[in-house]
Amino acid sequence: MIAGIQQLENDALAELENAGSQDALLAVKTKYLGRRGLLTGLLRNISQVPAEEKPLFGKRCNEVKVLLENKIEESLLRLSEGAKKQTLTRGKIDVTLPGRGTRPGRIHPVTQIRREICDIFSSFGFSVVEGPEVELDYYNFEALNMPPDHPARDMQDTFYIEEKTVLRTHTSPVQVRVMQQVKPPVRILSPGRVYRRDSDVSHTPMFHQIEGLLVDYDVSFADLKGILTAFLKRVFGDATTLRFRPSFFPFTEPSAEVDIRCVMCAGRGCRVCGHSGWLEILGSGMVDPTVFQNVGYDAEVYSGFAFGLGLERIAMLKYGISDIRLLFENDIRFLRQF
Amino acid sequence: MLVSLKWLKDYVDIDVTPQELADVLTMSGLEVEEIKTIEPEFSGVVVSRILSVKKHPAADKLSLCEVTDGERTYPIVCGAPNIKTGDIVPLAKVGAVIPGGYTIKSTLLRGEQSDGMLCSEAELEIGDDASGIMQLPRDWHPGTPLEAALNIGDTVLDISVTPNRSDCLSMIGVAREVAALTGKKVRLPSVRIREASEDILSLSSVTIIDADLCPRYSARMIKNVKIADSPVWLKTRIEAAGMRAINNVVDVTNFVMLETGQPLHAFDFRFLEEGRIVVRRSEKGEVFVSLDGKSHVLPDDTTMICDGKKPVAIGGIMGGLNSEVKDDTTVIFLESAYFNPSAIRRSARRLGMPTDAAFRFERGIDPEGVLRSLDRAAQLIAELAGAQVCKNYLDEYPRKIKKTGSIPLRLDRLRSVIGAAIEPKETIRILKSLGMKVRSDGRGKYLVDPPSARVDIEREIDLIEEIVRLYGYDKVPPSLPAAAASEISAISRLELEEKIRCTFAGSGYSEIINYSFTSPASVDYLLLPGDDIRRNFVTIKNPLTEEQSVMRTTLAYGLLETLKKNINNSSFNLKIFEIGRSFIKRGNNDELPEEKNILAGLLTGGVSEDLWGGKNAVDFYDLKGCLENVFYDLKIEHCLYNAEKTEPFLHPGRSCAVVHNGVTIGYLGEVHPDVLRKMDIKNTAYIFEINLDLLNEQVSRQIVYREISKFPAVVRDVAFVVSEDMEAGKMLEIVEGQTEELLENVVIFDIYAGKGLDAGTKSLGLRFSYKAPDRTLTDTEINSIHEKIVQNTIARTGAKIRA
Ligand SMILES: [Zn+2]
Repeated sequence: MIAGIQQLENDALAELENAGSQDALLAVKTKYLGRRGLLTGLLRNISQVPAEEKPLFGKRCNEVKVLLENKIEESLLRLSEGAKKQTLTRGKIDVTLPGRGTRPGRIHPVTQIRREICDIFSSFGFSVVEGPEVELDYYNFEALNMPPDHPARDMQDTFYIEEKTVLRTHTSPVQVRVMQQVKPPVRILSPGRVYRRDSDVSHTPMFHQIEGLLVDYDVSFADLKGILTAFLKRVFGDATTLRFRPSFFPFTEPSAEVDIRCVMCAGRGCRVCGHSGWLEILGSGMVDPTVFQNVGYDAEVYSGFAFGLGLERIAMLKYGISDIRLLFENDIRFLRQF
Repeated sequence: MLVSLKWLKDYVDIDVTPQELADVLTMSGLEVEEIKTIEPEFSGVVVSRILSVKKHPAADKLSLCEVTDGERTYPIVCGAPNIKTGDIVPLAKVGAVIPGGYTIKSTLLRGEQSDGMLCSEAELEIGDDASGIMQLPRDWHPGTPLEAALNIGDTVLDISVTPNRSDCLSMIGVAREVAALTGKKVRLPSVRIREASEDILSLSSVTIIDADLCPRYSARMIKNVKIADSPVWLKTRIEAAGMRAINNVVDVTNFVMLETGQPLHAFDFRFLEEGRIVVRRSEKGEVFVSLDGKSHVLPDDTTMICDGKKPVAIGGIMGGLNSEVKDDTTVIFLESAYFNPSAIRRSARRLGMPTDAAFRFERGIDPEGVLRSLDRAAQLIAELAGAQVCKNYLDEYPRKIKKTGSIPLRLDRLRSVIGAAIEPKETIRILKSLGMKVRSDGRGKYLVDPPSARVDIEREIDLIEEIVRLYGYDKVPPSLPAAAASEISAISRLELEEKIRCTFAGSGYSEIINYSFTSPASVDYLLLPGDDIRRNFVTIKNPLTEEQSVMRTTLAYGLLETLKKNINNSSFNLKIFEIGRSFIKRGNNDELPEEKNILAGLLTGGVSEDLWGGKNAVDFYDLKGCLENVFYDLKIEHCLYNAEKTEPFLHPGRSCAVVHNGVTIGYLGEVHPDVLRKMDIKNTAYIFEINLDLLNEQVSRQIVYREISKFPAVVRDVAFVVSEDMEAGKMLEIVEGQTEELLENVVIFDIYAGKGLDAGTKSLGLRFSYKAPDRTLTDTEINSIHEKIVQNTIARTGAKIRA
């Protein structure tokens, strides 16, 4: 009987070896391990085994059963893995094809710079204000200490609409309009389009400015330096070197031009900085008492500072654009780069 | 202002390099834009001594010389008659380059070796003397480069002078500034006139009729003038300052203007009828020919300098052709005056004559420098033109020129404006270095008198600026102001704009910025009728070009121009938008125009450019979809698209007005083929404009949350056969108008026309969703509601149910 077990084991293993499909395997399983299977049959006949051989016989039967079960299970698994693999291989896609859908558009570089600057100043507590682009001479010039026939008007070549109406040459008139309506403290930022009669590689007849104004008790020139230093370091990086240089604007006194170390040549001198190593970034100054007088603020009680900068210039420096006119050509190949 | 350093050194010692000086000036407010070097016109020329001179054996007019540069001896053949042993002369050695670009070579002249060339003034372009070899001082050392020995070559600073600093439009003014910055003293040229016996008071007179235009007019008379070229030193200086040398008299007037800032004018006294001067305002329509030969119709209130009969100069701007100094002039009437700055500015601008004189007068000259400059020029003319200055001078001064009294300066004010303490001692030092007189009242207050040339200093704040400017902005420590809440609130529209930018960019649209000005023809291209409000242009009086001569009344034309430019660059697929203003002129000229904030966009080309699988051309619905996304984002519901109301520049069958709550907020549609043809654009495009001010009013910023129903929705599809004119929107409006609260929503899921349907009809598939917040709906319940809605819809539209 024991030898019969051995024979059965050998036969079963040989058949398993040849079973190439799931069905064949299952057939082998039924043939040997099924309810009417050969091994099951052997076990059923255990009563005919001599008593002393019974324990060994039982043990062997069990061993063969476990062995076959494991083998069949293993083969079944191997077969199904293979089939799955085959299906997955057939469903292969080209992952290098680009994704479907619409590519996002770009926000204009000037808008991006405006956002950045407005965000920084709003973190300093400044609110954005607006005013007309077609402006009265009074707000654009006179209230800002530039009476008619003042030579400072030469600094801004002006487009005229009527004798007393102009295209605003800066966004400062907005500050005058706000101060006429609101008492200090004032922390405002006026971004927008401005117009000057000028056109070459570094000038367009329309461009964008942001001007800021802070008025309160005891605002000093030191505060102007503090705020503008903090601002420029956020825009151009903490390592930026800057300098405050005396200048002249009719509506501020003392006035300061603020330069940063040239970002192109690190101060060694290049074409962009006109070989000076410095780049003019913004104009600023303490609000002239005459301006306060014009809006009805008491210059003995309040003081403040104002500043202004051109957005195109910052965009050109940040992105290395050499001709300002590109910003308004709206060539999609240009715009897509920002 | 071009400042020659060599000239500047006449008035102040400079012991720093040009670059250092430029830095100091720039950091004190006189921005140096450029440092230019002026090089001599020659090189390789040295000082030499003649050791021997003998006759050339083969040529009478030539000599053979031996010349030393201190190291070597050179044989030179020379043709000049004026040389002898021991002379110190310029030697151009072999390899030297002399003006005109000639290089000196070693040659044989009539059989004699010549290793160089002795030069005349003219040959080196140092002077005009060509008669012989230039004779140099005996004590000059042979071997010294000639440009060093002669001190030729210069450095010129190009200083950008701000409009307030009229004092720095002169060498002496810049010298004062340099002295203050470097701790030096200014040296003023001494003015000494030896007057002749003849008296100007007996020869001439000045009458000022309009003292408001000319508060002061002074003059001197100079006789026996010989007009000639100016000496080299004078020419060099004038040319270094960027002016052209003309003759000794004119050059002196320019020189003194550059030196002191006082413009002067020299008349030929012969041509002054009645020998006198009258100053008056121009007469209406008066015509005058200035010395550049141009004829001008004089604007009102122009200051005219006249003789007894006629005008001879436009005061403060330019002299007249009829009285200019000529080669045979012998008597000069020299003018030094003070003109009203704003009157000069007005006239110079209207005449289009921004002359050097006008530039200085309109910024304000030193009112107390008038006579000093007059004498300085008279003295120089006398010296250079071999002339005599007549006794006395004319000085009409009918109106006192505004002079501020002493200006008070409070130290506590100084400190609070600066935000840092500057020592009183330092404060006084700075003020005095600028030539100001300072008195203390002993209680923290000073009384300050600025020099008369500093016409910009009138108030305490002007003094504070001077102090901090010279103290150094860099020395003021930065601080941060205390935060304080302001009552200014945010502009809600700007927040809206940012959201819109994000939505458009997310949908593939790039932002553009067009100029706000446009061509008046833009509205013709857009086919706008004569009474369209968008023809009410805000017109620019002085535009750069016709194409930029009016403010845009719509953003549409700019979009189409942008389209055209991009097509020319072979960019055929465009998705662009712009946020900006349009400008509509109001009926009343005194009122500022209406400025509207507009969102506009354009779409053309393929649906998804450069991406595989999507090559279909865009259409109306692509643009509309994006606009709807914007509205969805802003929670603006129930916009109506009214095809009855559209724009002349849009395709009448493919465009509409966008209406919300009865307010037309914009339009959208395909561009009219006629417009495209007119603009020579071959590609179809879709555009829209939305008025952001109106949109902003429609936006609800409130969000009300509704509980999500736990019960399933029941969906019923119905295909209605309707006339092909029936708008889907109309259909939805009718369905949604039947207020049935269980009807959660209804959408169009299918549109069909063609086989199986009668001609002129189409099928609209509507999907109805029903839902209750509190229960599962039963079929019977829904059936009755649904049937009611369907029947109502049929009744109101004449639709049939598609089988
Ligand atoms: Zn640089």
